[in-house]
Amino acid sequence: MDEKEARLVELVLGGRTEAFEPLVTPYRKLLLTLAYRLCRNVEEAKEISQETLMRAFRYLGSFDRKRSFKNWLLQIEMNVWRSLGERAADEGTLRELATRNTLEDPQEQLAGKEAREMLFSCLDGLSPREREVFLLRDIEGRSVKETAGVLRTSAISVRVHLSRARDKIRKLIKERFPDLLEGLR
Amino acid sequence: MNCSRVRKTLPLLAGTDLPAGKARRIEKHLEGCSSCRKEVEELRAALAGIRAAAGREALDWPEGEWKGLMARVRSGKPGPRPVPVFGAIPRKAWATGFIIVLALGIAALILRTILSPPAPSLLSETVTATAAQPSRDLMKDEVLSRGYPQDVPFRIRREQGALDRTVLAAGHSPEKTRQDLMSMTLVSQETGLRVHWTFNRNFEWEEKKQ
Repeated sequence: MDEKEARLVELVLGGRTEAFEPLVTPYRKLLLTLAYRLCRNVEEAKEISQETLMRAFRYLGSFDRKRSFKNWLLQIEMNVWRSLGERAADEGTLRELATRNTLEDPQEQLAGKEAREMLFSCLDGLSPREREVFLLRDIEGRSVKETAGVLRTSAISVRVHLSRARDKIRKLIKERFPDLLEGLR
Repeated sequence: MNCSRVRKTLPLLAGTDLPAGKARRIEKHLEGCSSCRKEVEELRAALAGIRAAAGREALDWPEGEWKGLMARVRSGKPGPRPVPVFGAIPRKAWATGFIIVLALGIAALILRTILSPPAPSLLSETVTATAAQPSRDLMKDEVLSRGYPQDVPFRIRREQGALDRTVLAAGHSPEKTRQDLMSMTLVSQETGLRVHWTFNRNFEWEEKKQ
């Protein structure tokens, strides 16, 4: 945790609750996007993200300052996703691929849409645990150890799920998006 | 290293998640194996494609919604997470403790079966239908030996059974009214203790230990 964050945490706990906003603002996109990739529904993602921030504020006093604040937020979000999100994702009503597109150029829009389709098509092929591990390690760039900490599991378990997830994604891309691997042939 | 073992490690190699030593050994195999090399290249390309796709889109809160959310969040009160009494102990610790207790219980049962000697058998000798000593009255002897007052009735009265009535109806006969005794001696093989019981016909008994 950096000094600025530590100071903001002290302020919030000291009663200056307005300091919470600058504390979490750097992570607002991250939390919402990750929730969206997990559940693939904007409203659901907002709900997960909101609950994450509520819990972070409520339990800020129990946050260990030696840890990374970002990883702590991710850990809360994973817990919220597991308690709220999985149920809804399993119902299969959550796909909203084309609703969010901030790109302006039509060609870019098309490319963006295809990219998102590929991303979600691949994520759909993973089990919930594989999806969590893959998103944290390969998309969010957390290390294996950090991923294990966020998911409260062992590094070995992370490696096992990560290995399966990557192999599944390779096969899915080869089957559904062979153009991406064309240059390798 | 054969190909099937190498292929299991390729997804981790593609994401640089293998320890350096192991990665070097795999890379060495890849130099001479085109099919494994192709697979790892596919993995790397797939990961790069997915990361690029993910980088193209990021959701963000509309500013109004974000301000509203922050206002709602701040209406609460920050503090430590309440820890339930039993929740403070992780489930893994409970499970480990339970397994240890179970294992110890099973081990104790097994050791008890293996290590404990068989229950000491008792030798017995039985003498039946011995004619009573005329001067001997078991209960009286016992009462006297314990120093009870003489006027305390020492014989337990009981209702006469069918056999007694038959005996009485047959009239007075020294053989039939005479008290019979049965003695039994148990000897412990382990300690050598001898316990000698003597019963009369009313199952009044006397015990002697040697």
